[in-house]
Amino acid sequence: MLRAPAEIKFADELDYLESIDDGAKPFSWRLSPRMVRLFILGSEPSDGLDREIGQKWFGDRTFVERSIVTLASDRGLLLIGDPGTGKSWLAELLAAAICRNSTLVVQGTAGTTEDHIKYSWNVSMVIAKGQSRESMIPSPIMTAMERGVIGRFEELTRSTSDVQDALISILSEKYVSIPELDDDNIVFAQPGFSIIATANSRDRGVNDLSSALKRRFNFVRIPVVTSKKSEAEIVRFRTEELLRRHRIELDVPPTLLDILLQSFADLRAAAASANSDDERLESALSTAEQIGVLEDAILHSNFFGDSTLRAGTLAGSLVGSLARRSPEDLAILNKYWHGVVEPRAREGGDWQEFLDGGRQAIATLS
Amino acid sequence: MSGFGALRDRLTDAAAAFAGGPGQVADILTGMVDDVDRALRENLEIFPVCHHSPASALAMARRLREKRPKVVYLELCEDLRPLLDELANCRLPVALQAFATDLDGFPAGAGPLSVVAPITESSAEYQAIAYALTEPGVELVLVDRSSDHVFQWMPKDGPGTAGGDGDTGHATADPAGEDAGLHGDAVGVEIGDLRPRFAELEAYLLHHGKVRHWSEWWDQYVEQPLADADYATYRQVMVMIGSLFRRLRPAGADRLDRDEDRERYMWTRMREHLASSGADPADCLYVCGAFHAASRVEEFGLRGSGGFEITPRTATRWSYGLIPSSHSAIEAQFSLAPGSVSIAAATWRKALRRGGVTPYTLDGKKGRKGGAGRAAPEAGVTDRLSGFLARPPEPGGLDEDELRSWCVDIVRLARRHGYLASTADAIAVFETSVLLAGMRGRARPTPYDFQDAAVTCIEKDAVPGKRDVARLCEILLGGDRIGQVGYESLPPLARDVYDRLEPLGLDPGRRTVQRALLNLDAEPHLAPCSKVLWMLRYLLPDGAVRPIMGSKRLGERSIQESWDVALGKYQRELIELGYEGVTVEQVLEQRLRRAAWDPKATAAGALAAVEDSIVFLGGRRFTDELGARAVELLSAERTVDDAPEVLRRMRRLLAYYRASEPALPAWCEAFVTTGYAHYCTLLPSAFTDEDTGVRQVGAMLGFLFGMESLALSLGCDRAQLELAVRQSHPERPAKVALLWAAQSQLGLIGRDDLRRRWDELLVNPLVVPSCPQYIGGFVQALELAPALTSFVVEVISKAFARLPDPVLLPWLPTLITTLREQAGDLVPALVKEAARTYPADLAGLDAWTPPWEAAPGRAPATAAPAASGPVADLLRAHPASCDALAALLGCDPAWPDAPDAPGAPGAAGGGSPGHGEAAALLGRHPAAAEALAGLLAR
Repeated sequence: MLRAPAEIKFADELDYLESIDDGAKPFSWRLSPRMVRLFILGSEPSDGLDREIGQKWFGDRTFVERSIVTLASDRGLLLIGDPGTGKSWLAELLAAAICRNSTLVVQGTAGTTEDHIKYSWNVSMVIAKGQSRESMIPSPIMTAMERGVIGRFEELTRSTSDVQDALISILSEKYVSIPELDDDNIVFAQPGFSIIATANSRDRGVNDLSSALKRRFNFVRIPVVTSKKSEAEIVRFRTEELLRRHRIELDVPPTLLDILLQSFADLRAAAASANSDDERLESALSTAEQIGVLEDAILHSNFFGDSTLRAGTLAGSLVGSLARRSPEDLAILNKYWHGVVEPRAREGGDWQEFLDGGRQAIATLS
Repeated sequence: MSGFGALRDRLTDAAAAFAGGPGQVADILTGMVDDVDRALRENLEIFPVCHHSPASALAMARRLREKRPKVVYLELCEDLRPLLDELANCRLPVALQAFATDLDGFPAGAGPLSVVAPITESSAEYQAIAYALTEPGVELVLVDRSSDHVFQWMPKDGPGTAGGDGDTGHATADPAGEDAGLHGDAVGVEIGDLRPRFAELEAYLLHHGKVRHWSEWWDQYVEQPLADADYATYRQVMVMIGSLFRRLRPAGADRLDRDEDRERYMWTRMREHLASSGADPADCLYVCGAFHAASRVEEFGLRGSGGFEITPRTATRWSYGLIPSSHSAIEAQFSLAPGSVSIAAATWRKALRRGGVTPYTLDGKKGRKGGAGRAAPEAGVTDRLSGFLARPPEPGGLDEDELRSWCVDIVRLARRHGYLASTADAIAVFETSVLLAGMRGRARPTPYDFQDAAVTCIEKDAVPGKRDVARLCEILLGGDRIGQVGYESLPPLARDVYDRLEPLGLDPGRRTVQRALLNLDAEPHLAPCSKVLWMLRYLLPDGAVRPIMGSKRLGERSIQESWDVALGKYQRELIELGYEGVTVEQVLEQRLRRAAWDPKATAAGALAAVEDSIVFLGGRRFTDELGARAVELLSAERTVDDAPEVLRRMRRLLAYYRASEPALPAWCEAFVTTGYAHYCTLLPSAFTDEDTGVRQVGAMLGFLFGMESLALSLGCDRAQLELAVRQSHPERPAKVALLWAAQSQLGLIGRDDLRRRWDELLVNPLVVPSCPQYIGGFVQALELAPALTSFVVEVISKAFARLPDPVLLPWLPTLITTLREQAGDLVPALVKEAARTYPADLAGLDAWTPPWEAAPGRAPATAAPAASGPVADLLRAHPASCDALAALLGCDPAWPDAPDAPGAPGAAGGGSPGHGEAAALLGRHPAAAEALAGLLAR
């Protein structure tokens, strides 16, 4: 499997936690809220567990707690934040910990219709046997209702308002009626059903949520990670996972990781002080993008280099990933390279190679 | 014999089990028990407190009623004691302040120094103060180092630098909340700072306590369990925590040294007081931070050694007063979590409602006397720590009814602030609070859980109003209470201001902006109020008093004024002004005097002070003194950087004096003569000096030519100016142009020479690129020779016509910016002249010939001297003075023929052919002239 969902990947941890969990569990939850928190944020020696549980999501503990209690109440959870802040990952972990199924996902797009949220019909079966429960294709959300588990809705604000509003009755009345059927025409949600939606705060205004729908969701805003320590942990965690997945034997030197984190911190500061969009990189400069840059550099070094990650390759990946608009982004990067990287390179170390690599990449793209 | 033997053994065993053997861990754990034992055995009863802790305040109120001590020693700067008596007139929270501007003994430039000690109602120190001030025969002694020592003991990089000192905190430069900046940039001192002394320990405690910030940790693990604890348990636990933070601290920290010095100071002071007053230690109570209760300095205790020598204070003069404070200001000052002081206040109020404790207050009433005198002294120290440490905390937090009412209230509050919140949200907040508390291992939700739950359920993607849900929760839980200093406790200056503004009918207690309307014509009795407001405008920050209508400038008087007054909000600034003098006039005079006698003062600065003194104070004596100082400064100046400012101000002052006084003051005359000589002397070097700008030279010449007549009448010699101009040999084009203008003004060269020189420049390809600079010089020359305006228009017009584009185009933006920055007041004259010179419409442009290119013959002849008219008639009637003058000048006094009899129609305008048209007009329409003649004949 190229990418196993969280409930499969961390199945042994979940099994273990389930076996020792003696806390009260809401509805049909597989773990108690405290154990869900422990699964996501990792264990401490003071928890007194026989085995260590790794930390899987890095961020403020309060966000996780607020998300868990929301799911234990009768409201849906809407994780909102900039792209790459780990919303979907948190949603997946929550669903995996609570019901061992994180795959009931609807992806919100401009083409998402109400059928994707409720149900659709297998046309050939309808022709052959008529409309019945057998010829009906339930959506992931409807499946979640029937099973009493968590359904996920990714990028809620990308779908149009009328489609979004289909969720209102699901979240309020907790049932979906199927008017096409004469009997057995209501699907009731079982205890434990809830929805975790994610929304990109940069999409605000594209398809704004209606007030009625907003009322049915608790909003948890996930900020961009600004703590260098947490960010280093996230990047390291995700990179190790990547190396494992690609079976690559390659070391990421801590100095290069520092250079990457420092560059993003500098560029974020520059973006914050910029006056117009033209002076700001198009990229959100999120942690996910840092991981993307590092992933790109690692793969490049592994397949086209000498299996050693070098500062020059990292610089090339960084420029390649962030220069989306020409000439605006390239000009910003060029300015950064001359104004910030060049003085640092004088101090020696990997910054010199980083400087050369970046210049070359900018020259190629210009 | 110690009662802690069993606990000590258990802790030693625990250390052995967890740390693998006796060692540092065992030492720390048993050391903590020893500290508790030692503090509790002390003959002078030590009452450990934590700042802004309702549990401490409750325990204090109970203990005071029980023990009724005769002397209360308090850990607070000893020099602040007189201020405590004024607390009764204030609405808390307020801060005691010591303030110094005249420094002596501290590095220059470190001032002003300011120390604040905020006092809230929910604090143990307030209970002790209120008890001591309301109970007869009780003495309150402050024993901590003085405000002066706070700065003396600061790190050597000087006072005013950031960094804590014991229980001190620096006000943040950028306070988050609107009322968080109430303390200004003062250094804060507080009683009972109890916080881990290094970041890792705090982070560790927060992480394992599963809380977000220190205030929450303290509330959950200490405050709540101790709220209803008995006195012995309270004391032992507090000393134990103080000891823990004392023992877990970075080695060799400066801060600890200072803390220990403070402990030595306090014990020395207490022993001195006991010896001098003869008080019985059993009747005394020592209130200090828990950190200091676990002190191990040699001076600790009544039997401690007495070797500590208290250093004398510096000669700095300190002023004292009370200033308003607020919960958010306290939080910002001491880096507490937002809302934590408000939550502490809410907890205190709740505890009082629950009953069982009657607090002491200062609001004029004495607390109810209860209990029966002194509590029996404790026979020995019994171990209460074991029980406290072994037992799970009692469920505290919110009860269900309270939580329900909060949920309803927050929804109502949120709705009022634009949120679409409904009853369903109230239910959701309630449910989420309970769930969050459960997840966090709390039996009942705390205010922090409630706040999180409210944010989760009500906050959506955007904040509709000014305040978000977290802030609304803080408001709900008590809000940011802002204190106020009562009228009686204000310094004389502030009281005087309030009294003088009374006719305006403003409420001085309101913190909002109030509008005052002054119709000075209809209500002349409001003029003194206007004067006070203008002075306050000068002395206080911008927002305190703001004129909406009306202005105060030299020689001007407003008929109506409208003011925005926010003195309630800026009470601190007004109080701090009170440290400088008794009335605003006195402070203003001091400020102006300081500005004029500052070692870096300039003549321009002194003239500004003169202007301000006339505008705001009006007295002649002080103005003359400042003027004399300006003369002194001008003659001592070696640069002419301020010449434009000097010229501008002096012109204004001369105009003012000429319009309002019968004669110029002596200092003005002295200034003009000194300035004339001074600028004449410096003129040649200013022309050649690279660092002196053209604007400065222009202003010098402006001074010399503009005030020439006055200077000459006062005895100056014009030859001095001529010599100075002849000695000037500038090289920079702009200055050369200025020199030409000066020469033209002196009559050394004529207008035609000037025009010729300029035409030569325009045709010389070598100097064409520098032509714009010449123009800059000519524009500045308007300062000294306004008559040159038409010539400057000609110069600029020719430049536009003849300069090549590569020179002209890059110069245009520079011309505009230079004109705007340096010649703002000269431009209108220039534009007016240009408007007069150029045709007004497009059609006229085709046929237009510039006046300077017009044939000399077509130029309008200069008008002949009027041979008739009232002036001529007058002179002819009384020729003696003219004849005498002519004789003096060596001329022959020949009078032209008198016209025919005045008034005869044929003679009208007969002297001048130009008058023929007028005569014809009058002939056609004689009515007006006849009416006028009739009037004159009457």
